[in-house]
Amino acid sequence: MESLTSPVKAAHPEGTAYGTVLDAEVALRFSTLDAEYEAIRERAALLDLSGERIIELSGGDAVDFAQKVLARDVEYLTAERCMTSLVLAEDGTVVDQVVVWGREDGLLLESSAGAGTRLLEHLRAHAEDGVEITDRTEEYALFGLEGPYAWGVVGRLIDGELAALPFESVVDSQWDGVDILFARTGVTGEYGYKVLVPRESAERLWTKALEHAVPAGQEAVELAMLEVRQPVVRHEAGEGVDVLEMGAGWLVDITKDEFLGRDAVVAAFEGTAERRTVGFSGGTEVPAPGTPVTVGGEKIGEVVHAVHSIGLKSALGLLRLPPDLAAAGLRITVGDTEVVTLTSPYVTPKSWSTPII
Amino acid sequence: MTLDELRATAAARHDTCTQIKKMIVSRLDLPIEPAWITDDQPLFGRGLELDSLDVLELYVAIEAEFGVALYDSDMSVFGSVSRLADHVNPALAEQAPTGSA
Repeated sequence: MESLTSPVKAAHPEGTAYGTVLDAEVALRFSTLDAEYEAIRERAALLDLSGERIIELSGGDAVDFAQKVLARDVEYLTAERCMTSLVLAEDGTVVDQVVVWGREDGLLLESSAGAGTRLLEHLRAHAEDGVEITDRTEEYALFGLEGPYAWGVVGRLIDGELAALPFESVVDSQWDGVDILFARTGVTGEYGYKVLVPRESAERLWTKALEHAVPAGQEAVELAMLEVRQPVVRHEAGEGVDVLEMGAGWLVDITKDEFLGRDAVVAAFEGTAERRTVGFSGGTEVPAPGTPVTVGGEKIGEVVHAVHSIGLKSALGLLRLPPDLAAAGLRITVGDTEVVTLTSPYVTPKSWSTPII
Repeated sequence: MTLDELRATAAARHDTCTQIKKMIVSRLDLPIEPAWITDDQPLFGRGLELDSLDVLELYVAIEAEFGVALYDSDMSVFGSVSRLADHVNPALAEQAPTGSA
């Protein structure tokens, strides 16, 4: 399967920095990390989500199949709703975190950046009669808007009525005579929206949206996600790490009778976890994954993932610690640096105090 | 801090978080075990997916359970169970810095 490349790459700003995320080439930065982060946290940012595959589940048994492969309950997901769910392997390890878009005749699964090929292979490996699994990625482009004033961009670009939709609403709408699928979503804690547009109209929409919002690349988005403890699977899931250790128990529903990986998840919920994840900040050096966490010279855990947080003006990351030490307010040592463990969210989104008007 | 001091600090927060989780599940009649909610789990929108009516119920429940009135607080109070713990047990907040944008 070919690596994904943005269908609007030709319309990206000159000097855009690209990188590879699993099976996709993504825009890491369109300008500078500072400017893009500032757009997400203070104004409105435009995201090119072309690294995410769009996979359609259709056929008479599509919902039953989705119930089997998704860790959350989608039985009553209507065509006007979407939700986020984990997809698990039989052993409970995370295959991907997906957005599930309800549709009249099935469902659309939106992979996380670069994880679409792995997701598609997983779905096909568990395929059954009565369900068709179709990769629709080449037919569409997916764009996002995030920021405390992203609602204003929705109004200027598409329709002001859409801006105040309830969280996780999906609407079939039109932009400039083109059928689009619109959703109120969000991963940074700010107001967030997504637009799925036919590929032939993608560059036109992207270019028009640039008149109203600052393009933000993968680095700024993932930083803003970490700041509100939104999981980024490829940084946080690892071999032998279950959903509870990852802190993603809220993305599974063990009240659901059956789904792939359920037995392992139930065992994790009922068992005694050896590690839990907690956020930390401190120092200016960004520690590498695996950097030891110590107290009085004794190793108690390690770094999962860390970045420099523009919002906190220090290193920010996640630690895996024994359950009795995984809590906010602890002063511990990461590498050679004194840090403190944090209460989530680590940065309070401006959207939480900014009304849609 | 020594390891024992860290464990004691963590235990104090875990106790308050456990109390909050039990209160949420009981007051909102959620079909889950309190222990299934994680300390960092968002409560509104994504996460536990509570809504504005649930907020009103929680205001009342928090005042009854902890004697703390949060009616005029901003929504960041409900950013996570652990964040809520800072507000119902201020001794915890002194130890854990909260973020700002």
